[in-house]
Amino acid sequence: MALLELRNVSKSFALPRGSLRVLEDISFSVEEGEFLALVGPSGCGKSTLLRMINGIIPLTSGQVLYRGKQVDGINLESALVFQSFALMPWLTVKANIEMGLEARGIGSEEREKRASIYIDKVGLDGFEEAYPRELSGGMKQRVGLARALAVEPRVMLMDEPFSALDALTAITLREELLDIWQAPDASVKNIILVTHIIEEAVELADRVIVLGSGPGRVVADMKLDIPRPRDRRSEAFNTWTDKVFSLIEERS
Amino acid sequence: MPGATITPIPDCQLTWVFGLLELLEDRGGREDGYKIARDLQFKFGDLLKVMKAAEILGLVSTPAGDVVLEELGKQFLAGDVNQRKLLIREQLKKHPLFSYFVRLLHGQEDRSLSKEVVLEHLAMLLPSEPPQRMFSTLVNWGRFAELFGYNKDEDRFYLDQE
Repeated sequence: MALLELRNVSKSFALPRGSLRVLEDISFSVEEGEFLALVGPSGCGKSTLLRMINGIIPLTSGQVLYRGKQVDGINLESALVFQSFALMPWLTVKANIEMGLEARGIGSEEREKRASIYIDKVGLDGFEEAYPRELSGGMKQRVGLARALAVEPRVMLMDEPFSALDALTAITLREELLDIWQAPDASVKNIILVTHIIEEAVELADRVIVLGSGPGRVVADMKLDIPRPRDRRSEAFNTWTDKVFSLIEERS
Repeated sequence: MPGATITPIPDCQLTWVFGLLELLEDRGGREDGYKIARDLQFKFGDLLKVMKAAEILGLVSTPAGDVVLEELGKQFLAGDVNQRKLLIREQLKKHPLFSYFVRLLHGQEDRSLSKEVVLEHLAMLLPSEPPQRMFSTLVNWGRFAELFGYNKDEDRFYLDQE
């Protein structure tokens, strides 16, 4: 059984006159352990789709199944990581990480324990009592990552997590993300990454789904057979980036 | 290194230094600095700071405008996050500016100083560097290496426990 399955998912937003269809008839499934990238031009609804998988945005029609069961409301086995980091500026690093746990009703002792485990995993030891304002973008996103990981989700949903960062910071965090996901003791087995950066998708994902716009629909669904660790200079890497690029170009 | 000349550290995030190492590894261990800046759309001046920071930490060398991954840089890349922190910590302890503050903090009863006092020391040691900026870098690098901590609420710059 697939871990996650989307069946004919559509989304429309109501406008003063009529409605806007942003996603139409999206169907795909995600296997256990898969790193999936959703790519497409801006406005193709990929971020909306990610939020519907999490459950914070309701579907207009269709179904999202998790382990064969329909998800109503928020899927507590998933956690989101945002482009904007979405940190509370008045809370310390540690308190920001614990906040996600508190919201899920986890007691203070367990919160402490988990916060310290994931602070360690993302390299934030030493920053526990810093405030977001004191941190660089890269450190802020490490907090966002630790906050998501601390709830020990099966699926981590990442919405353009590296797009607000400069190139050197993004290189570092992509490598760190792969290390976290590939660690034998990782609790996160699945990642769904929304990105408009094609090289990022090809570097990280096992599988890439290309969405077209107006309304968003699945244009292509491809498994990337490039061995890891991936070499950005390799021919296979270039072939795949060119292929994904041409698919996006054609449809937008 | 008592008595060593105190030199400033570049105003640069450590994450940039780590990104530079990853990039060098991808490119076979050596690349032209100007080309890196162009490829990453980094201002050359900013990339120079990153190169300088990586060189101060002993992770790269910079012969004739190139950046070359050194043995310690390779060790860094091969390590997990805690091994990486330890390596940076050992390198910082050898840096005159960091070792100055380690000694200074050791001399305090509660192993801590207020930010204002730290700024005064910085202004005295490195009169041509903006102390506020130097303080941020000292705190950020120090936090990563778990050498120094800073608690804004209590205004305490302190020695992290060994």
